Amino acid sequence: MKQIEISPVTRIEGHAKITVQLDDSGNVSDAHFHVMEIRGFEKFLEGAAVEEAPRITPRICGVCQTAHHIASAKATDAVFGLKPPETAEKLRELMLLGQYVHSHSLHFYFLGAPDLVMGPDSDPAERNVLGIIKNNPDLAKMAIKTRAVGQHITSIIGGKPVHPVTAVPGGQSKGLDAEGRDKLLNDAKECVGLVEAGVEVAKPLFEEYADAIETLGPVETYFGGLTSGGKLGFYDGQMKVIDKEGSMVHEFESNDYLDYIEEKVQPWSYMKFPFLKQVGFPDGSYRVGPLARLNIVDEVPTEKAGALYGEYKDKFGMAQNPLLYHYARLIELMYSAERAVELLEDDAIVGEDIRQGVDSLMTRAEAKESNETLRGVGIIEAPRGSLIHDYETDGAGIIQRANLIVATGQNNLSMDIGVRETAKALIHGEEVSEGLKNRLEMIIRAYDPCLSCATHMINGESPLLVDIHDADGILVKRHVI
Amino acid sequence: MVKIALEWLASCAGCELSILDLHEELLDLLEHAEIVYAPILMDVKEIPDDIDIAIVSGSVRNEDNKERLQELREKSKTLIAYGTCACYGGITCMADLYSPEDLSARSFSDNKSTEPAEQPSEVVPELLPIVHPAGDLADIDYFLPGCPPKEGLIKDVLIPLIDGKVPEIPKKSVCADCHRQMDHVEFDKLKRRVVGDMDPEKCFLSQGYICLGSVTLGRCGAMCSAAGIPCHGCGGPSLDVLREPNHDVYNCLVNRIAHLSKMPHKDVEKQIYDKGHLVYGFVIGSTIMENKKVSLIPQLIKK
Ligand code: SF4
Ligand code: SF4
Repeated sequence: MKQIEISPVTRIEGHAKITVQLDDSGNVSDAHFHVMEIRGFEKFLEGAAVEEAPRITPRICGVCQTAHHIASAKATDAVFGLKPPETAEKLRELMLLGQYVHSHSLHFYFLGAPDLVMGPDSDPAERNVLGIIKNNPDLAKMAIKTRAVGQHITSIIGGKPVHPVTAVPGGQSKGLDAEGRDKLLNDAKECVGLVEAGVEVAKPLFEEYADAIETLGPVETYFGGLTSGGKLGFYDGQMKVIDKEGSMVHEFESNDYLDYIEEKVQPWSYMKFPFLKQVGFPDGSYRVGPLARLNIVDEVPTEKAGALYGEYKDKFGMAQNPLLYHYARLIELMYSAERAVELLEDDAIVGEDIRQGVDSLMTRAEAKESNETLRGVGIIEAPRGSLIHDYETDGAGIIQRANLIVATGQNNLSMDIGVRETAKALIHGEEVSEGLKNRLEMIIRAYDPCLSCATHMINGESPLLVDIHDADGILVKRHVI
Repeated sequence: MVKIALEWLASCAGCELSILDLHEELLDLLEHAEIVYAPILMDVKEIPDDIDIAIVSGSVRNEDNKERLQELREKSKTLIAYGTCACYGGITCMADLYSPEDLSARSFSDNKSTEPAEQPSEVVPELLPIVHPAGDLADIDYFLPGCPPKEGLIKDVLIPLIDGKVPEIPKKSVCADCHRQMDHVEFDKLKRRVVGDMDPEKCFLSQGYICLGSVTLGRCGAMCSAAGIPCHGCGGPSLDVLREPNHDVYNCLVNRIAHLSKMPHKDVEKQIYDKGHLVYGFVIGSTIMENKKVSLIPQLIKK
């Protein structure tokens, strides 16, 4: 039996490989998508004061850092029973939109689009954003500018462009002043125009690749995501799950997620496989993220994104094809820019009441005596889909147990099936062209997987081989500039 | 043209993003340098030979990471440990606070939402028993800590390095860049970050909140304290902590708080409720920190 390996899968966030098994006659007998990384946040959050979680968890992923920051802060609100003031909720939503603008534009222009702009069979040395910079500098500049707006929002509202810090239990640590607001409002308005131009570039590509959209990564699943009253929104709402035809099967509050979602471990991947508990594995596999959200909502409540959504719906209806994630992502990018303008035009965004605090906390000794447990669940829509942070603490708010279900996990099974089915359809014999292998990667890329988010971790058996030399027991070979 | 490679080990990708956060200046950088390898951006699958500058981020979690790091070292003239994970292990090394068995259990067999199972073992790389900073397993030419390093640092340091110059870089601690007023204040209790109202002008330590600014390298410009949040130490240890065998993040912090509050050292120590996550969070995996005589890290980690 022969094996074809694609390693590492490139232009995604994190470490993964694809393996394809061939039988004796050269046909594909099996294929898998393997996630190679694991770091262990669920365990090592234990023992931390829960208010540190919004600072620790963004390091799960530097790409969807703000999403973790905010889901985590929402969970801490719930642990302490705090309700953030209106201004704080709006600032957090704006920060999350900054996340979307950065992440969706990073994914589309820097990671995904090179396959479409340069072509899936183009020279791999050119098939990347650097190639786009060389061959189409205007498009590259537009990409860079769009993403910069997202990072400015995060930096001004969140305090830092990567790993923001301002969302705290009960609200925000820092408000927005009039000057910052004016600056961001200009940026956000400019961003709407930039996204419009981007959509003009992208639309013909979707026509051109209609075939690939039809054939790459076929799979049919349930879909899940947050919505409030059927509208697209990322910060809040109820979790809704629909079936393959679009009928609603579940609607639930964040606290109850354990009744609906379960995860399965497979021996070939460090990333788990969530599924709908009441349907079972693997039939209950569901997807999240842009494609899922646009299937779930009835309305995209901003002008330009709403119009794009109408067109998209007319054309694709209940979309199942993974390459349409790209299309859905662009519509959400437009929504994010427009919604940022709306929030920045709202005077509540510069309000001064930004935080509800607690007056006192139990000490750890008191907490031991009392035996009280607190729990908080925070769910938001991260760019890649629903993100769940669930913390249990003692009475002093020290984490005893944490559970995290990240967006990408929920798409794991669909990526795996998509790779297998496509490999079966396209690969016959050992000679596989680079362009064909790249098509398998394109399936994975469409989901914009964030494997750094595969948060769980384990040990190995191998002995440790570290030499530490020094008279005082201090590493001297180190030179700090 | 200088040939640059970007490699990530166990990391969050924030370091790669911080480089993209040069935004339009990225285009200027590309006039001087050619990126020959960067899995986040391009499809080259093998590390090429003859790299001038390799920039490695992340810590070493598994065998794959280790091999890649060694290969990168062999194939590059200059190797830069970029970001706190690569320099001191970073937050990923908090894993060392727990035994490998417990970490595995929490994910795969004792987890609220997971059908209990064995840990995956097919095709996936074997994990090392503890996490290492890249800098502990390879000879590094330059260390650029920061979680991630900030735009200013990239401009002031990385670009001159690419141009073949030795850059001038700041050596101050976070406190030196912080706008807050430090004051002697007598108090007898340290406060948790959720309790009370923070004064936006006054030093956090003077208000009884734990802030790592005085023991942390200040190349971020004290961004967190400007945003109303005490420093968590993500920039890695300050230079005096690094250079002095008898200085350590924890004992320097205790000294500072005792000095400001006039509380006895013993009382301060009793009240620092979480040394692992709060004080050593970003450096717990670093041998340079662990091997200091005064360090509490050896007592905290469960190998
Ligand atoms: S201890 Fe923190 S708040 Fe105080 S001066 Fe230093 S950085 Fe600023
Ligand atoms: S203030 Fe501290 S935690 Fe914040 S960015 Fe600077 S070094 Fe990191």
